[in-house]
Amino acid sequence: MAPPLEDDVFEKLKQKVDPAEQSKQEELNTRLFAQHQKAQERLVELIGDNTTLPVTISSVRILHANRTRRTFLERVVNPLLSSNRDEPYTFAEALRDVSGATDKLNRFGIFKSPISVFIDRPDPTNPSTSPTDIDVYLSAFERGNYTIKTGTEAGHSEADAYINAELRNLFGGAETLNAHASLGTRTRSAYSLAFDTPILSNPDLKFQVNGFASSTLKSWASHEEVLKGGNSKFTWMSKGGHKHEIGYSGIWRQVTSLVGNASPTIRADAGDSFKSSITHTWINDQRDYPMLPNRGYLMKTVSELAGFGPLKGDAAFWKSEAESQVALPFGDTGITLTAGLRGGLLYPIALGGGSTPQRSRINDRFQLGGPTDVRGFRLSGLGPHDGPDAVGGDVYAAGGASLLFPIPKVGKDSPLRFQAFVNGGRLLSLKGRDKEGKMDSAAVANNMKRTIASLKDDLPSCAAGFGLVYAHPIARFEINLSLPLVMRAAEAGRKGLSFGVGVEFL
Amino acid sequence: MPPENIERDEDPQNDNRHQPSRSLFTVPAPIERLFDRFPLLTYPANDLPLRAPRNRNEHVLYVFITLDGASAGAPSYNPGCLKWQTYLKFCNVNFRVVSSNNHASPSGALPFLLPLSSDTSKTAQAIPSSKLQKWTMSNSTTAVEEPSDLRYEAYLSLLDHRIRRAWLYTLYLSPNFTSIVEPLYILPASVNSIVRLTIAHQLRTAAENELLKFSAVVTPDTLYKEAEEAFAALEILLEHNTWFFGAEKPGLFDASVFAYTHLVMDENLGNGWIDTRLHDAVLQSKNLVSHRNRILTTYFPSA
Repeated sequence: MAPPLEDDVFEKLKQKVDPAEQSKQEELNTRLFAQHQKAQERLVELIGDNTTLPVTISSVRILHANRTRRTFLERVVNPLLSSNRDEPYTFAEALRDVSGATDKLNRFGIFKSPISVFIDRPDPTNPSTSPTDIDVYLSAFERGNYTIKTGTEAGHSEADAYINAELRNLFGGAETLNAHASLGTRTRSAYSLAFDTPILSNPDLKFQVNGFASSTLKSWASHEEVLKGGNSKFTWMSKGGHKHEIGYSGIWRQVTSLVGNASPTIRADAGDSFKSSITHTWINDQRDYPMLPNRGYLMKTVSELAGFGPLKGDAAFWKSEAESQVALPFGDTGITLTAGLRGGLLYPIALGGGSTPQRSRINDRFQLGGPTDVRGFRLSGLGPHDGPDAVGGDVYAAGGASLLFPIPKVGKDSPLRFQAFVNGGRLLSLKGRDKEGKMDSAAVANNMKRTIASLKDDLPSCAAGFGLVYAHPIARFEINLSLPLVMRAAEAGRKGLSFGVGVEFL
Repeated sequence: MPPENIERDEDPQNDNRHQPSRSLFTVPAPIERLFDRFPLLTYPANDLPLRAPRNRNEHVLYVFITLDGASAGAPSYNPGCLKWQTYLKFCNVNFRVVSSNNHASPSGALPFLLPLSSDTSKTAQAIPSSKLQKWTMSNSTTAVEEPSDLRYEAYLSLLDHRIRRAWLYTLYLSPNFTSIVEPLYILPASVNSIVRLTIAHQLRTAAENELLKFSAVVTPDTLYKEAEEAFAALEILLEHNTWFFGAEKPGLFDASVFAYTHLVMDENLGNGWIDTRLHDAVLQSKNLVSHRNRILTTYFPSA
């Protein structure tokens, strides 16, 4: 039974509205609205008039943040206090700095948004205050201290189930501990434990330590790769939107569980290897919507140095990859041209203390082809193949261009597009097979030059096609009809329909 | 996700063009003819990476062996591998040995053989050791038939149980672990000490578990004594014959005995023996010693 109050509401609804009453009500509403509008205007005017008013912030009080460390918050708030500043504030400057601090707090991800700001004048009778003093109050409610998520996912010939637990604001300084476990068909199992913390209360500067173990089925190369390892990294964002990441990782890799007809190349690489490396990543993403960009560009480079000098380990190489994408709109039609270019090279070097450069392994070589990079080819369909296996290459270049049209009737505001594309690439192994086993630094440099030069030989392996693109906030979905135009023997093209899910597309 | 059957393969074997039933997803003939014209241009295949093995004109036996040993055709340092390496040599099979590890094997254990593929674009199915004898019988003209002696099975079980257990103990659980197993099995796997420690631990536990299958506690004295008895029995079985069971040519049994006697007698196995009890036991069996030397000089002249 509904409580009496609700009955009352229903009764009221049933009553016929008196037209006179209604017009009265409307009048009241307009008046209230006008008043509110006026109050807003007055506030704006007041602030406007007072922008140059000198103020001093005597105290900042953060309300409700009970589990957050005081020292952690002080680092964010202290720069606001006038006692810590050389120059006096104007009111507008004070407001700008306060909103900067709230923005910082927001970005730690530990407070519910919005964080509200209140400004008050201290009691003038208090002898310790000056007439310009204001007090700032920030009302920051903390989010729950943990989240546990479980779920199942099904995608491109892969299905998995996962559980993810996150402890937030662990030591009261926006530290996060994230534990993840998943079981699936392609990624057989994956476990990770990551600890993440901002440095010096700066949400743009983070430190992360991560331990993980995983086992992934690499069906395109007839083996399973088992990884156990850890990494630690610093991440910082610069003002212009440049994101840098630098870190160390140590990973024990096992190439194992080879299938019956695995090629001799994969068999030769089976077993254990330890990679100890330093990685630097730089990303500058200026695209308006990364999943379906309409304008802007992306630039990204990843560099990795493994096994050099004191790094030790079993694998030694310099690996560099660069990626760029540009999106150009055709006026306001919703038609967009996106073009992407990628390239990478794996340069063998000698292990610390050795003199012979290490020949690359299947774990470290590049793979190319598949619905999210060079469309119209099977997963890892480009490059050297030994029998059934895509054995990967040491140098690659790939590029593509897509023309995206809004679909009639659906319109350009929907995330659905029709696309026509052409894309292609080359994936090559390092030259020098004519000299059995003999490698020295000079020969490697020469062979690398020859390999890069031969990227331009002949036409690249390429494919063209058309299809539909749907950009979901989490991932981009594509269904395309494509045909390979140029191929190398043993490369695996794909004619007809193919389906792609991913975050980054060529 | 689209159902798999609307995806067309370029691989002709997977095409359903031979199927008379026309489902909704069958590609119409004109489109199929159009599809068949693609790719418009096909260049020769890409070169394989530098680590890819290049000699593809021989059968390849994957065994535990040092890199230098592999190129010299030396005997493997693992009895399971050496047995088949020797047997294939007895049967005049032309093959090459390659240094490998258990991860490379389809069965999870070495040895296995990768037969020469008649079609170069395809890789032949690997043959695990359990099927090697059958493969040899059908691929070698001079394959050796096993003697139909009633005692054959009984003596074979001496090797497979008593001698093998003593071998496991002396190698993995005695001080020989550091002098033999470490340099042969652990150090080549990785230079990282955590990886090495983990592998060492795994090997020891595996050996211990294997021994615990037969008795509740591992008593080295019993294990050695049983092995000594087994060697003595084999010594009597061989007598003054050239090969076991009075055969004219050496067979799988000779290979199995040689696999243990050779390794146990080898002074230079790894960094040499520390616990020499098993080593000494074999040296006392004169017939087995000459049997081993005969095989070594005839079939492994380089070693």
